[in-house]
Amino acid sequence: MSFARDDRLAIARGVRVRFDPVRNCHVLLAPERVLFPCPTSVEILGRLAEPRPFGELVAGLAAEFDAPEEEIARDVEALLSDLVAQRVVRVEGRSA
Amino acid sequence: MNAVAREPWREPPIGLLAELTHRCPLACPYCSNPLELAARERELSTASWLRVLDQAAELGVLQLHLSGGEPTLRTDLEAIVARARALELYSNLITAGVGVSERRLEALAEAGLDHVQLSVQDVDPEGCDRIGGFKGSLRRKIAFARAVRRLGLPLTLNAVVHRHNLDRLERFVELALELGADRLEVAHVQYYGWALANRAALMPTRAQLERSVEIVKEARERLGDQLLIDFVVPDYYATHPKPCTSGWGRAVIVVAPDGRVLPCHAAHVIPGLVFANVEEKPLRWIWQESPAFQRFRGLEWMQEPCRSCPRREIDFGGCRCQAMQLLGDPEATDPACTLSPHHARIMATAEAEASAPPPPFRYRRMEPVPA
Repeated sequence: MSFARDDRLAIARGVRVRFDPVRNCHVLLAPERVLFPCPTSVEILGRLAEPRPFGELVAGLAAEFDAPEEEIARDVEALLSDLVAQRVVRVEGRSA
Repeated sequence: MNAVAREPWREPPIGLLAELTHRCPLACPYCSNPLELAARERELSTASWLRVLDQAAELGVLQLHLSGGEPTLRTDLEAIVARARALELYSNLITAGVGVSERRLEALAEAGLDHVQLSVQDVDPEGCDRIGGFKGSLRRKIAFARAVRRLGLPLTLNAVVHRHNLDRLERFVELALELGADRLEVAHVQYYGWALANRAALMPTRAQLERSVEIVKEARERLGDQLLIDFVVPDYYATHPKPCTSGWGRAVIVVAPDGRVLPCHAAHVIPGLVFANVEEKPLRWIWQESPAFQRFRGLEWMQEPCRSCPRREIDFGGCRCQAMQLLGDPEATDPACTLSPHHARIMATAEAEASAPPPPFRYRRMEPVPA
């Protein structure tokens, strides 16, 4: 899946990410599901609590990690596709 | 009982199933509650439930399933949900949705409820009333579902399917879409307790099962991520048994209305197990060390063909409660497994039941069970 700069992304309804002190890692909680997201997913999901355009997400991450936007966009796109396929992230205006 | 002292179990549970009450306005013949239901006087107090949640969070529980009976019959549900939210537990309300006002639902949402799972017995109003034993149930359920979505809460429709409603499975999918549900659970009846007592009335034919597999496959392909569909097949027709509750005492902890703690909501069918009560023991000890939870952990208890089976750590020999109920031996291979020497006989009985005219339902009721 590819994303346009103005595609608005947000964490899906019913999904929460929190730190679990017992397991000492982040956990993603959804209906009948518990996932253990990687640190990059946690970083991305933390920025999508409110709907945000893909371009803004990429620019924010590029600034934070001091990397070229094209490189970040490529990496993030792959990860976001997975998160969308798993219904953890939704794209506003598209079904789901 | 296994007399050998064992190391405490260090892995934390993922989910806590809180059976807040056995009271329920419906009387579904496949209810997962035990035949012997706990009366209201034996239910835990609010303070006890709040303490259980505190202990559960400390133990590592992440998800809280608020179930029953009908959990909304507890007037302290808002307080329980609020505590779950304060503890960052993910709360899931499992409800029949027939007597819950929009105002009540709003209060629960404000308290921090995360998700609602609504049971729909049938998409046909008469069928819905007949299975649940409650008049006008479907109309109320639909109104409830719309209120859930108006409040912006995520919604799962739970469809328990059997020979009386399987022929309308496509319409369950349509209803889920129409109501804006996020998920649809299509769950074939699992035959324990009340459902086992009603097996002849509920068991689908193999043809019905195969058709349901096709319908779910087609709907998944057609709808993509528009609707997530979870599908539970009836294990009688399966090749391998289900890894019940992901393995005994591995992922789930069940607290019954009277405070007894079980590894599975059906575990009371196994004789000789003593279930500790949250009024007497801390949840951590019950989970890590109590004999009932330790009983079927590990692989030492297994008999052949499980003991040497390459799948022994995938399905853990299947379901202990089913082995007990059908074979009278909780250590036997679950007869749902094709490797069980009893599989063919049990299947033949079930298939014969499915092709005979269905007997009347024995509804789930709170009164004493006749012998």
